[in-house]
Amino acid sequence: MNTLGELERSVLEHLWAVAGPVTATQLRDELADRGLALTTVHTVLTRLEQKGFVTHDETRPRQFRARGTREEHVADLMHEVLGQAGDRQAALARFVGSVGDDEVRMLRELLAGAGDDPAR
Amino acid sequence: MLPATALALGLLAALLAWPVPAALSRARWPQRDPLAALVCWQAVGLAGGLSIIGALLTHGLAPWGHSLPEAWWHWVTHWSTGAPPEEPVRGDHWVAQTLAAVLALELLGVLALSLVRTARTRRRHRALLELVVEPAAAGEDTRLLDHPAPVAFCIPGARPLLVLSSGMVAELDGAQVDAVVAHERAHLTEHHHLLLLPFVAWRAALPVLPAADRAHDAVRDLVEMRADDVALGSLTGPDRRRTLAAAIVAVAAGAGGQLPDGALAVTGGAVAVRVRRLLAPAAPLPSGARWAALLSAVALLLVPTVLLVLPALV
Repeated sequence: MNTLGELERSVLEHLWAVAGPVTATQLRDELADRGLALTTVHTVLTRLEQKGFVTHDETRPRQFRARGTREEHVADLMHEVLGQAGDRQAALARFVGSVGDDEVRMLRELLAGAGDDPAR
Repeated sequence: MLPATALALGLLAALLAWPVPAALSRARWPQRDPLAALVCWQAVGLAGGLSIIGALLTHGLAPWGHSLPEAWWHWVTHWSTGAPPEEPVRGDHWVAQTLAAVLALELLGVLALSLVRTARTRRRHRALLELVVEPAAAGEDTRLLDHPAPVAFCIPGARPLLVLSSGMVAELDGAQVDAVVAHERAHLTEHHHLLLLPFVAWRAALPVLPAADRAHDAVRDLVEMRADDVALGSLTGPDRRRTLAAAIVAVAAGAGGQLPDGALAVTGGAVAVRVRRLLAPAAPLPSGARWAALLSAVALLLVPTVLLVLPALV
């Protein structure tokens, strides 16, 4: 079963792997084991473009390439997650926020102190 | 009747703009019962907005009638019928009307704006994660992100995602990872993002009001404590409290060093409070005190509502 999400993932994986511009026809042929129609490949590429993961040039036929590597996307996300931008932080709930070195030291002491406590 | 209502509402608004949030954020009992404290904060926020807008509105409409619905109707119809107000309208009445409208629009507008903005950010994050990362073994809604820093977070919404970094799985033992996952799941199942959202919005809408800042920080810390409590309830194991506390410290240490030294008081930011109450839990709030807190929250909401509609009934 090819769900749209899975297709998007495999098309993007492929674009990352070839690291150069590819036409939709080439993509269909290279993903032949999935048995995709050309229109499906176009749909998936359009969706990926809307999400900002793929760009195309103006040659004929159009050639598509990935925008940014996987590592760059992950790094961007982590930058936002670890960053201090309050507005962005509201979008997700992080397990532990950023703390300073001083506080880390004190937290370790707290944990160690509780371990030594004979009452526990 | 309306001038008295306006005065009473104004008094309540002043209390809720400064002394009440200050006292609530300094109090020690919220740590012992984060859920009751969260209910109180929601009531403070809602009643604060209601009373300040209500005070301005009732003062602004005072010349038009003896109760809010009557005065409102009079005010609306006088534009078409040209019926004069019952008493002369002074400049301060116009100012109060305008302020009420501006404030109401600003609060609701900023709330809607931050709703849209966080929804858009979440959608972007989710799209990225679904494309870049394969679902983890722990479940369809869990993603394992390849990154050395120990980080865990969840993206709330209709299709929530729970994200762990590979650094987290490497540095924590199995029981600790379970504790982290239970904590994040608690945020999702109790929809903590909805409790925090109005305070995020109102802090942005009212940057001059220190209470807005204080309320936001208190609510943010309380949902973390609440999630810790819920996580403890779903964990098994000999020393759940210590496991969760150790997980918090390990994650804080692994991701640490991003803030300059002294950015937080050494006596402890919110993370230290969490660790302390896990390691040395205070007795839970007695049920009498808990009910008193919940009833005060209800009363806080009822007072401005009754003040606004009462003159229409008597």
